Order: sequence, then structure tokens, then C-alpha cells
Amino acid sequence: MKSTAASIMTTQFPTLLAETPLSAAINIFRESFKEHRRRLFGIMVIDKNQHLVGILSMYDILLYLRPKHIQVWGSMEDLEVNGLMDAAGSRIKSILVGDIMTPDVITIGPGVDVFMVLDIMIKKHVRRLPVVEDQRIIGIIYISDLFNYLLQRIGD
Amino acid sequence: MAKIQANTLSTLSVHRAMRRQVICLDQNKTIDHAINVIIKHKVNALLAVDSLRKPVGVVSKTDIMGAYYAGLPIDSPLEHIMISPPLFCQAEDSLETALEQMRAHKVYRLYVVDDVSGDLAGALAYPDIVGLLYQYCHKCEYSHLNPNKTAIRNGTVRRFKVRELMTSGVKSLSGHQPLSAVMEVLSAHRFGAMLITDEDGQPRGVLSKTDLALAYKHGVSPDVPAETIMQAPVHTCDADSLLEEAIHQMIISDIHRLFVHEANTDTIIGVLSLSDAARGRSGSCHGCVSSRIKIEDHI
Repeated sequence: MKSTAASIMTTQFPTLLAETPLSAAINIFRESFKEHRRRLFGIMVIDKNQHLVGILSMYDILLYLRPKHIQVWGSMEDLEVNGLMDAAGSRIKSILVGDIMTPDVITIGPGVDVFMVLDIMIKKHVRRLPVVEDQRIIGIIYISDLFNYLLQRIGD
Repeated sequence: MAKIQANTLSTLSVHRAMRRQVICLDQNKTIDHAINVIIKHKVNALLAVDSLRKPVGVVSKTDIMGAYYAGLPIDSPLEHIMISPPLFCQAEDSLETALEQMRAHKVYRLYVVDDVSGDLAGALAYPDIVGLLYQYCHKCEYSHLNPNKTAIRNGTVRRFKVRELMTSGVKSLSGHQPLSAVMEVLSAHRFGAMLITDEDGQPRGVLSKTDLALAYKHGVSPDVPAETIMQAPVHTCDADSLLEEAIHQMIISDIHRLFVHEANTDTIIGVLSLSDAARGRSGSCHGCVSSRIKIEDHI
């Protein structure tokens, strides 16, 4: 039987709106383990028609939290730096998910072979791929699920 | 030691200060997308490229503000608002040459190409130069910031104070004024941000081009009052505080400017930006004065 995207995708996933405040999105990342029993490092962003408009990834958030001039003072071990966490916290106050999400998202159809999924993930440096059919999101494939799927099937 | 540093500073080349990560976006992408990239990467401008990744223009927060003011749809392509062509310098150019080029063209950043291959190698902006000089000052035994300084030279080296490099006479607007009025003043005076005051003229907040870009992206009308999106509180410093301490505060806290007040009063008398600090000189005291990067006031 052909192994396809549909056979390894997850159909239970949270979504965000571009208008969601970043602070609320961070809470969803924080709570995801409790609800979905897995740590999430990327959440799909949809519009009011349920169409995919982007992904908010851990990397997007980390980029935004990175202090702008860290390369200047980051290596100065004798520097006294106070209140950096508070500064990072206050920076996110007026930011919405759409402001920092990745808007260009690669998607695949449910019938795509798992090795094609593997190839796309490697070539495009992505760790998650939304599965879309007729403009509707039907699932998402995480690289860890792909890895586990292959581990189970590769002969020892 | 100061003498050695003086020599080092006077021969600094662009590649020492530039950032190697250049933020690029295809010229066919939308303004909306550009705002996303600029906010996420905390840059003031991005390089617009064509389908072959060749640099074709620059889109800055100023250009984005112009589009917002003009009522351009946010899904317009970057090629409609970018400034062409981008300006380049070479990685081995001296910082003095690069700063002179910025001054002559009235720009705040240059893109850097490798001297040999001609490939894009980085971007150089005013704050990057301040950052490099801050590193030198931090290591210097004369520095007030260096906790390991071996000699006490209080009184022997004259240190720059904020008052000497700030821009005096801050323009401000009432928080009741619409965003469009703020944009008009920012554009006319080439400011990056404005002080917003209450009815009594007291500082209430700051409205920057970054806030305006976000307002544009969030679909906020340019007719809403400035106070609805301004950032508070106002980051300030004393006019008599040391330049090195002011630069320290800006670099650590990710802010581009400090409003300056007279000692023991709330009256704002000026503003000091990282760009002012770069334009003015090299270090933060007269210890390495011979290395000073001479930049005439470009206004």
C-alpha cells in the first residue's frame, strides 16, 4: 500500500487568526502540551474563511525576541544587564500573529508520497507541512511524525 | 593604550561594522509582507530583489509610511514604493568613506558588496557603527563603562555628555492629533519618531515609524488620534548624563532614541538617537579623539 501524506498527518491541530495578539498565541504554545499531548513549534494561521494564510513558528517568535544589538553586547560578560526579560515582554504587547508569522507556506495534497514529503522538508528546510485539499486544511505533518513513521517501517 | 586604539579606529573598514544578514524580499511581494519582515527582523529597511535575486531597490519604514499616508492599498507590490537603485559600498572601504557616502546621499544605510567577487556581503547602518564603537569604548581603560579599568582617570579625560550631541528643540504633537498629522511632521523633518503630549504639553508617549507601519498593517485609519497607538512611557535621559551611558541604555533596551530632559525637570529639551551618536563622533570621550570619524552635520 502506498504511504501517503494522509496516512501520517495529524488531524487534531490548533489554529490562530492573523488578528490574534501574539501574547495569546504564546499561551497556546505554552498550553499545547496539556491539550494535544505534544509540544508545538508551529501553528497554522487561517482567515475567516478557514483558508491558510501563514504559519507562526517558534523561529518567528525567537527572531522577534532577539535583542537587536545582541551582537554588540552579547559577548561582554562583565556587562550588567537588567530587565531584559521585561523588555522582551513589553515588546510583544502591540504585536499580532500576522505581524511576524511566515506568510509564504508550502502545502501538499493528501495523496503525496511520504518520501516526497521527506524530500520537500529537507529541501525547503521546513519541519511541518500543512495538508490542503480544495483550499481546505485537512491536516498537518510534523517532521517528528514522519521520522517515527519511517522508523517503524525501516527493516532492522 | 589609548593611542593603539586611536590607530585601530582610524583604519576601521566597513566589514568590521556591517551586518552579514541582509534582509531581502522580492519586489513583487506586497507592502503587507514587507512590514512583516521589517518588524520581525527589527530592521529599518529591506532590500528589494528581482526574480534572479538581484538587488533592485530599497524599501524603508519611511517609504512604508508614505504609502500609508497616500492611502495605497497594503497589497501593492514593493516595486511601486521602493527607492531605486540601492546604494552600495565595498567591504574594504573605510567607515569614513561609507559615512561620507551616506551623508552625501542623505541615507542611513548602505549595502555592502565584496571587493573581489562583487557579491552582496552585508548591510551597514548608522546604529551598527555606534555598536562597533561601543565595543571599543567598553574595552578601553579610559571607559567609564569598563568595570575592569585599572586606572582612575576621573577628571583627566573629558567625556561627552548627551547635551553635546543631542538634537535640540523637539517637535511634539498633541495626542488628539490624527496619525496623518504625525506623518506630515515626521516626513517634513525626516524624524523617526515624535513626542506626543497631553493638553498641558506634558510628554505622554512616543509615536514612531514602526508604530505607523504596524497601524497600516492592522488596518487602522490615518484619522485616529495619535494617542491610540503611541508607545508609553517615554524613554528619557538627563542632558548631563554621559554619552556612553545613553548609548548603553539604547543598545541594551532595543530603543533607537532617548528624549532628553534638563536635570530635575520634566521638560524635554532634545532627543538623542543612535544615528546622532554615529554622526557626531567615534567614541564617547576625548581619549581617542585623534581617531574621530569626522562627519559634518548633514542637516
